[in-house]
Amino acid sequence: MAASVREKQTVALKRMLNFNAPPLKNTTAEPVWKVLIYDRFGQDIISPLLSVKELRDMGITLHLLLHSDRDPIPDVPAVYFVMPTEENIDRICQDLRNQLYESYYLNFISAISRSKLEDIASAALAANAVTQVTKVFDQYLNFITLEDDMFILCHQNKELISYHAINRADIQDTDMESIMDTIVDSLFCFFVTLGAVPIIRCPRGNAAEMVAEKLDKKLRENLRDARNSLFTGDNMAAGQFSFQRPLFVLADRNVDMATPLHHTWTYQALIHDVLDFHLNRVMMEEGAGAEPSPAGARPKKKSRRTYDLTAADRFWQKHKGSPFPEVAESVQEQLDRYRAQEDEVKRLKSIMGLEGEDEGAISMLSDNTAKLTSAVSSLPELLEKKRLIDLHTNVATAILDHIKSRKLDVYFEYEEKLMSKSTLDKSLLDIISDPDAGTPEDKMRLFLIYYITAQLVPSESDLEQYKTALLDTGCDLSPLNYIKQWKAFTKMAATPANYGNSGVKPMGLFSRVMNTGSQFVMEGVKNLVLKQHNIPVTRILDNLMEMKSHPETDDYRYFDPKMLRGSESSIPRNKNPFQEAVVFVVGGGNYIEYQNLVDYAKSKQGKKVIYGCSELFNAAQFIKQLSQLGQK
Amino acid sequence: MTSSIGDVSVCLQGCSSANMAVDITLLFKASVKTVKTRNKAIGIGFDSTKDEIFKRSRPKSGFSPRAKEVISNITKLKDFLLQHRKDYVSAGSLISSDLTRMTDNERDQIDQDAQIFMRTCSEAIKQLRNEAEKKITSTQIKEHRGAVLDLIEKYLRGVCKLYSEQRAIRVKRMVDKKRLSRLAPEHHSRVEKPREVEPVEGKTVKEEGSEKSVSEVLDNTVEHLWEEVRVEDELSPEEIQMFEQENQRLVSEMNNLVDEVRQIEGKVVEISRLQEIFAEKVLQQESEIDNIHQLVVGATENVKEGNEDIREAIKNNAGFRVWILFFLVMCSFSLLFLDWYDS
Repeated sequence: MAASVREKQTVALKRMLNFNAPPLKNTTAEPVWKVLIYDRFGQDIISPLLSVKELRDMGITLHLLLHSDRDPIPDVPAVYFVMPTEENIDRICQDLRNQLYESYYLNFISAISRSKLEDIASAALAANAVTQVTKVFDQYLNFITLEDDMFILCHQNKELISYHAINRADIQDTDMESIMDTIVDSLFCFFVTLGAVPIIRCPRGNAAEMVAEKLDKKLRENLRDARNSLFTGDNMAAGQFSFQRPLFVLADRNVDMATPLHHTWTYQALIHDVLDFHLNRVMMEEGAGAEPSPAGARPKKKSRRTYDLTAADRFWQKHKGSPFPEVAESVQEQLDRYRAQEDEVKRLKSIMGLEGEDEGAISMLSDNTAKLTSAVSSLPELLEKKRLIDLHTNVATAILDHIKSRKLDVYFEYEEKLMSKSTLDKSLLDIISDPDAGTPEDKMRLFLIYYITAQLVPSESDLEQYKTALLDTGCDLSPLNYIKQWKAFTKMAATPANYGNSGVKPMGLFSRVMNTGSQFVMEGVKNLVLKQHNIPVTRILDNLMEMKSHPETDDYRYFDPKMLRGSESSIPRNKNPFQEAVVFVVGGGNYIEYQNLVDYAKSKQGKKVIYGCSELFNAAQFIKQLSQLGQK
Repeated sequence: MTSSIGDVSVCLQGCSSANMAVDITLLFKASVKTVKTRNKAIGIGFDSTKDEIFKRSRPKSGFSPRAKEVISNITKLKDFLLQHRKDYVSAGSLISSDLTRMTDNERDQIDQDAQIFMRTCSEAIKQLRNEAEKKITSTQIKEHRGAVLDLIEKYLRGVCKLYSEQRAIRVKRMVDKKRLSRLAPEHHSRVEKPREVEPVEGKTVKEEGSEKSVSEVLDNTVEHLWEEVRVEDELSPEEIQMFEQENQRLVSEMNNLVDEVRQIEGKVVEISRLQEIFAEKVLQQESEIDNIHQLVVGATENVKEGNEDIREAIKNNAGFRVWILFFLVMCSFSLLFLDWYDS
């Protein structure tokens, strides 16, 4: 896996946009223009990977949604990128009948069935457009890559495969089957794009096991079918430098319920938790009422701003996993550096103004023209840098406001202590009854984490106390019902979710951390330093990758699609530690786990870890799902 | 997806960085055949032949064919430039001539032709753009055409860059060649007996052209040489040496001057480039400044109107006050009158 998943998917998309021919390296090639039509799934897949400018460079003049009103543009080829669902097929047939475009290149995100293909064929025949349908492809790209090493399954319709959908009490077998099929289809596409057949390991007895079985079956069928197999061909030999196959670890959300509720302290996770963050795009409201409006004036309208956090943004790539105070410092530093460069450019201006009429200007010129040229040519770079600094300043300020108003640092510290079972300096009841520490949701999260990580179930009277305190602050207690059930179900006696030794060293209470002149005066916010600790998913991965023996993971099933016969055993055939791994959490994941895995991979030399989940939720959405489950 | 089709085989797209998109076009064509046979069996017929004839006659002077024409022209230009690039750029050595070397005239011809061609292409693009804007079509088509024209312009710019690179290399080589060719006869004039040097020097003077001081110095050297020729028999070795030293000094002086002039040339080119960039930026700002101007004018109008309104209000206020006063005075007078009337 020398190229990351994101690069592979981008390359695949670019090939598709180039009419499925490999793109030429020649920069002055003749432009060929085309129109791109996608549905919502396609839009979600393309938008984190290619910007509008890149689409334009590839010759896409218009990009439109499939189900919008489209006018006929009679002399242009159209590239379709859609899911093979009934309504999409109907719309395509309608387009063919209306003769909207000159030629049609149909690309289906996942494999299309024979009957639907015949539907399109009959519509094409009816419209005499068979020659216009130039190419039909199955792209096998049914997953969304957000980062170099992170992917999710889908963003639209994610309620269908959410944690709630999987763990409902009233779920039917058929529903479960269809959910599993969706998940397996996307995972299959993922491995096809990756170009590798993994070795699958999963725990027993839950949704993850079902997914693993189905995926194994699907991979096996495909491999057996030597003529049509998607995994043979030159790419297997050429694209891989290691002859090892990756390890695919399937985990279920139920193995670790506390991490999604945890309050976070790293930049990317905070943005996801506190602000509106989807598909690498942050949406914020601007102009919140810090200034009182003058009497008689209309109230200021809040404008919504959207920011894209992309791979090209170097600051973002460097700092998305850093703890928040570090981020604030770096933004300040960048701002200072930018101002210094700006000053230099301004100084040149004054120099040029002065020496304009001098006769000795000729000798000065040599130096100054060179400087001026370099300054002018570096202006676009400077402007871009300024834009990014502004972006991060706004985002970080918004986060800081939230932290201060909800006292998120207090929660974070407390939860870390709870999860590492170190001594607590304030009782839980104090925090819950504290009126200005956080929203009711925050308190609910804190209490749930306490409940989940407690070794002994708290006594009835204590529980009643807590419940009344929570009800006083306005929390909804239905998630608690569900967690009680969950705790009873899982084999808590054997393996209490052990969150490892984490230490949190607060660096000075109420310290003004930043140097003076900084915009981020974090008074009252503790500067917390994270010690490296491993959450359960990371530990499971570690055990499996290094072939360590551990009671938690010894019982995991072992699937190898390349073997002739499936076996029930859990004994791995391969005794060497794995170099590459893909971790997939069925039921939903979040950025905290992702960050933890990234840190783990960094600490081990030469290991690559890819993280995936069926959906990405932040704590608020998870609590909503839990309360839905608890109300049944 | 079952693969139970008899004669269809699925092609695999293999390339080194692994995307496995499966081409099922043949599968599609097979489905078309199946559907056709099925329809024939059921008895539904489609009149397929009639429409195909009518469909193929596309409008000859539509937007797209013309755009494609422009692109093919630009491609022709690009091929032409690339084809002759090697000959164009070849460092013609002073000594001599391979047959494939181009003369300078041919090079100039190419330059001129290319420039005319590029100008016509950009004219054509502008024309297309104007037409596209004038015609009333749907927004999507307009957007599409605008984007198409942008792409064509970008392509043209790329090809122009090719051309200007070539030209820059050529100019540089010419300048270098001149420098070399100037020094060479100087060497000759010093080494040989200074008798027949004048014609060569004269030519060198003509080649330089612009630097008057240089040519003056050359003339002086020429005069010196003539003098030398006349009184050659009476020159002593010391004088010869002195003259030689003076020659050397003059040569180095001239070299310095020439270097400085070339530097200035380079700087001027740079400045002109910067000038271009600044002009572009200033033009961009022009529209913004226009906007601001409009806003300011609007604001002054509003302020003026506001002043008028305030003046009105003051007047009304004053008038109102007068009436109140009048009313009060009348009331008090009437009271006094009634009081006087009563008593």
